Amino acid sequence: MRFLVFAYLPRVVDFLLFLDFSLFPRGFVCLSTIASFSNHRGMPPCRLLSTCDGVPPGLADAETIFALSSGHGRCGVAVIRVSGPASATALRCMAGLTRSLPPPRTALLRSITDSQAKEVLDRGLVLWFPAPHSFTGEDSVEFHIHGGPAVVTAVLQALGSVPGMRPAEAGEFTRRAFQAGKLGLTEVEGLGDLIHAETEAQRRQALRQMSGELGRLYQDWSHRLKRCLAHVEAFIDFSEDELIEDGVLNQVDRSVCTLQAEMVRHLKDERRGERLRSGVQVVIAGATNAGKSSLLNTLCQRPAAIVSPIAGTTRDVVETALDIGGFPVLLSDTAGLRDSLDLVEREGVRRARERVEQADLTLVVVDCAYLPTDVQQAAAFLQGHLKSVLQTQEQPETALPADRYLLVLNKTDLVPEDQRQKLDRELRQVSGLPPVCLISCHTNEGLQDFLTVLHSNVKTLCGDPLSGAPTLTQARHRAHLQQCVAALAQYQRYRDADLALAAEGVRLALTSLGRITGRVGAEEILDIIFKDFCIGK
Amino acid sequence: LDFSRCASHMLTKKPPVLQSFLSLVSRRASHLARQQYDVIVVGGGHAGTEAAAAAARVGAETLLVTQKTNTIGALSCNPSLGGVGKGHLVKEVDALDGLCGRAGDWAGIHFSILNRSKGPAVWGPRAQLDRQRYREFIQSELLSTPRLTVLEGSVEELLVTEPNPEEPGHHRVTGIHLANGSHPILASSVILTTGTFLSGSLFVGQTTSPGGRIGDAPSSAGLSHTLRERLGLRIGRLRTGTPPRIVKDTVDLSLTNLHPPDSHPTPFSFLNTHTRCKPEEQLPCYLTHTTPGVDRVVRESLHLNCHIQQDTKGPRYCPSIESRVLRFPGRRHQVWLEPEGLNSDLLYPQGLSMTMPPDVQLRLIREIPALHRAEIHTPGYGVQYDFVCPTQLSPALQVKSTQGLFLAGQINGTTGYEEAAAQGLWAGVNAARSALSMPPVALSRTESYIGVLIDDLVSRGVTEPYRMFTSRAEFRTSLRPDNADLRLTLKGRCVSSLRYQEAVRVRDGLQDALAALQTLTLSTHLWRKKLPDIGISESKSTILTGMDLLQYNNVSFEMLASVFPECLSPYMEFSQRLNIEAVYRPHCDLQKKEIERIQKEENMTLPQDIDYFSLPVSLSQEVREILDRVRPSTLGAATRLQGMTPAAVVNLLRYVQHTGQRGRRTHRNQPDQKEEREEELCARNASLPQ
Repeated sequence: MRFLVFAYLPRVVDFLLFLDFSLFPRGFVCLSTIASFSNHRGMPPCRLLSTCDGVPPGLADAETIFALSSGHGRCGVAVIRVSGPASATALRCMAGLTRSLPPPRTALLRSITDSQAKEVLDRGLVLWFPAPHSFTGEDSVEFHIHGGPAVVTAVLQALGSVPGMRPAEAGEFTRRAFQAGKLGLTEVEGLGDLIHAETEAQRRQALRQMSGELGRLYQDWSHRLKRCLAHVEAFIDFSEDELIEDGVLNQVDRSVCTLQAEMVRHLKDERRGERLRSGVQVVIAGATNAGKSSLLNTLCQRPAAIVSPIAGTTRDVVETALDIGGFPVLLSDTAGLRDSLDLVEREGVRRARERVEQADLTLVVVDCAYLPTDVQQAAAFLQGHLKSVLQTQEQPETALPADRYLLVLNKTDLVPEDQRQKLDRELRQVSGLPPVCLISCHTNEGLQDFLTVLHSNVKTLCGDPLSGAPTLTQARHRAHLQQCVAALAQYQRYRDADLALAAEGVRLALTSLGRITGRVGAEEILDIIFKDFCIGK
Repeated sequence: LDFSRCASHMLTKKPPVLQSFLSLVSRRASHLARQQYDVIVVGGGHAGTEAAAAAARVGAETLLVTQKTNTIGALSCNPSLGGVGKGHLVKEVDALDGLCGRAGDWAGIHFSILNRSKGPAVWGPRAQLDRQRYREFIQSELLSTPRLTVLEGSVEELLVTEPNPEEPGHHRVTGIHLANGSHPILASSVILTTGTFLSGSLFVGQTTSPGGRIGDAPSSAGLSHTLRERLGLRIGRLRTGTPPRIVKDTVDLSLTNLHPPDSHPTPFSFLNTHTRCKPEEQLPCYLTHTTPGVDRVVRESLHLNCHIQQDTKGPRYCPSIESRVLRFPGRRHQVWLEPEGLNSDLLYPQGLSMTMPPDVQLRLIREIPALHRAEIHTPGYGVQYDFVCPTQLSPALQVKSTQGLFLAGQINGTTGYEEAAAQGLWAGVNAARSALSMPPVALSRTESYIGVLIDDLVSRGVTEPYRMFTSRAEFRTSLRPDNADLRLTLKGRCVSSLRYQEAVRVRDGLQDALAALQTLTLSTHLWRKKLPDIGISESKSTILTGMDLLQYNNVSFEMLASVFPECLSPYMEFSQRLNIEAVYRPHCDLQKKEIERIQKEENMTLPQDIDYFSLPVSLSQEVREILDRVRPSTLGAATRLQGMTPAAVVNLLRYVQHTGQRGRRTHRNQPDQKEEREEELCARNASLPQ
């Protein structure tokens, strides 16, 4: 049993992790990330390296990954972990160690530099863990650097520019540890949950970005690449029998050239387009007139949102940046959820739902006065209410993850004291409900307890390096875009010699970009072909 | 050059006179030697003939039942085989010892490799065929296949058991009942390859009649009824059409563009070094175009055209002239005039499939300058037919709910001879294995176009007639027409020992040649001296192998062999394959890891009887519903389903591991048994008369 699991599981997990499922639910990928990486270098495998300019290891199954391993947010020290055969190269490049590596598992204080820009980024500790004595069983390196976002981002980007390195996918360190036999079976049992949690975080992250300027840019590229591929494929599959002129390919040549130039420019652009929102995304949602805006105002201690007794006062999303116990939080107040005939309000409700979908943490505000007095009935009411507020979420059959929702029962000042205490006591014991907080934004009663709960939730979320950390996602995007550019070079290289291999380049490019924008299947390409050409054989 | 070692026996063998074939097979059911077979194949088209031949090759006593024996191997529509994507399928069918490749070499009268300029991975071997010769070859081949009996008759009913009370909805096929036949004919496996005959109706103008092909009787309604009502299969409806046949003498060929064939015909089959038709005997094709007059006739006659008014799905890529004109008005469309045979006085106008009344058809074609005086020999017509939604099949092409029932060809929603042949062959192999109590075998989409075809069908289903394109194959650079033998023949499930040995010889020869090229190492300086004209950069100084050199555009194996005859000349017969291999190998190596990963997952089967709703693992309701609806047969198929999450797959895997373990304990000896059977199979193959 043990043997079997070990023989199979890693490969499946490996497969899954490559897919980055959160972004493309159909999950079939033509070629792995690595393929296009090593392809464009075309170098033979080689492990003995003396300088960082040397030949990087090109073995497809031995690429090197890196990621921020400590939590996100304000912290003194950040740990960045590197694992894989190029770890030593990375260490040499970044810590300026030209001759020898540091003694194994010993901290060494070095200047961390960007090997390409020759610029000192930070001064910190480096640790070298040669295989097999590391967490993953592979050669590993840890960089302990200062915890500011600017430093972390800079070091991650510098690592990404070391040949043979790419940002880790969700759960990849764990997977490698598992492959090396460093994890027991019980730990493996948790792998499914881990992947679920991490892909969920990535999905939310992706949704957030895809609705912005950057998302539109990537979608536009994806759309143009799809047409390029469709036109090359049409030329391959149909030009012998149909009226598909050679001009089609010339158009593709131009498009590929333009796309490549745009991507290169984008990769060079230090501002990298839109400034991503940083911090844990906390969204206040609920029915109209439950006191959502009052909660926002109470939390940020200023009248950031207009409050009135009229239902439907808030119609758009009101955002405010907060610091909760030292952690960055972006708090959004949303329109009350109700069916309305008012066009403006309907748009507000749509936006509210969109925000809830993208949130790391949702505060569901309920007006206490509407609660049934019987606690059992109140619990049932709350469950139904939660469902209606979160109706767009995909609902796993298990209980809602407790760390993603908080129930805030507002206006406790309108409820008799004994009833309030009974609710407080008994609702905690109902299973299937997220944590419940009773507060009154009017009298500030219960606010302190609520803040404690909120703080601990935000803290947990910040401990997850994936949530609210745009730098990591950005590093992944960069890696995929670089592969995309390299794959387009393959198109140009083979354009005249072998169109099948040239098309493969466009396919690889689309696969790489698909890791950001979502997978593209063969049927979609065929649809474009049949739309654009009159195919008749 | 040592061509003599390559077998080309197929072309030297004369087919027997057709008459004797008919007399041998036109037996009444009551005269059959037996009333029980391992495999019964219903239908004698491209799927049926390949299925019957493959089942017999695997070792099953096989009966092929067809309505009319003299239409076995008939080309009902276009007189051609192969093309881009389709040619890949022909090469693969041939690599598995199927018929159509060799039949094409026997019957071809115009050979060309399409896409010659676009890279060997997408070359499309294609041939125009002589209809008569094609039929002759297929019929004589079936006649000389041991263990295969052909019977003329119409199948009245499919015999199935009552569903097992413990497994509602699960049946087992037991045989067939013929119209007019008093006794049922029993079999462990039945393969249905009824093409367009399943509830088929023919359309010309405003008239409709039952049938699957003009001139042939419609098939019995009993079969359709059994599939639909007794087995409860989901059935859909598709349509297709064929153009009118034109009298060659009435065409003004001077107004067309002549398209000559390749000057050196390339055979489809890996066993043939030349085609039956001599290069100089080949016939040309002619190209002409539609005019605005054609558009006008289509528009004016729409009210007389009931086929086109129906909303049944037709192929987007083989549209009738009506749908082309309606979808892309005002364009000039190509019309190919193709020969129908060496001695035929007809031409086949590819691109002019139409269903309007015959008089309007004549008016339409005469709008084309080259056809302004043309006469129609047989008018075009449309066909609508039932197909079984192929998601109800396993990758072995067996109906999931009915043990022993296999489907292949247009009945699964595909179009085209090559697609039908590929499925027929694979259904034949599996039907025979099932009848002989051998485990089913599947071809992965990572190793063959046949695998892509079957995987697309059974895991995605069809919404329009399915046709193969090279763009459907993710691993196109690895799945090339040139290496189909190395990919498939050596699997040895259904190939003669002669073919097997030939493939081994080729594989070893290629390996030796590649090793020789790899060990041929020189410095760039020396290479420049030996081959001054190929432009190795002066600034480059390193060691290059012969393989590296072959990657240069202007370097060929022939060139290297002339410089190093002592080590390379033994491999001259493989020169073209080596040129291709050298360019593609680096790309294929990159695909290998992905391919292996997918194959691993496809080897992990999910039991077909899992109750996904009560499975004691953590799966969301949504995922359970998806799994229950599609019932993927492997973990690999499950990961490709829309809506599957990574966590769900991991949890599913854990479950499969647990149950797989239990299963292994109870059937501990099974792997050994399987190996024994494989050996037995090889032995049978070895004893086949060549």
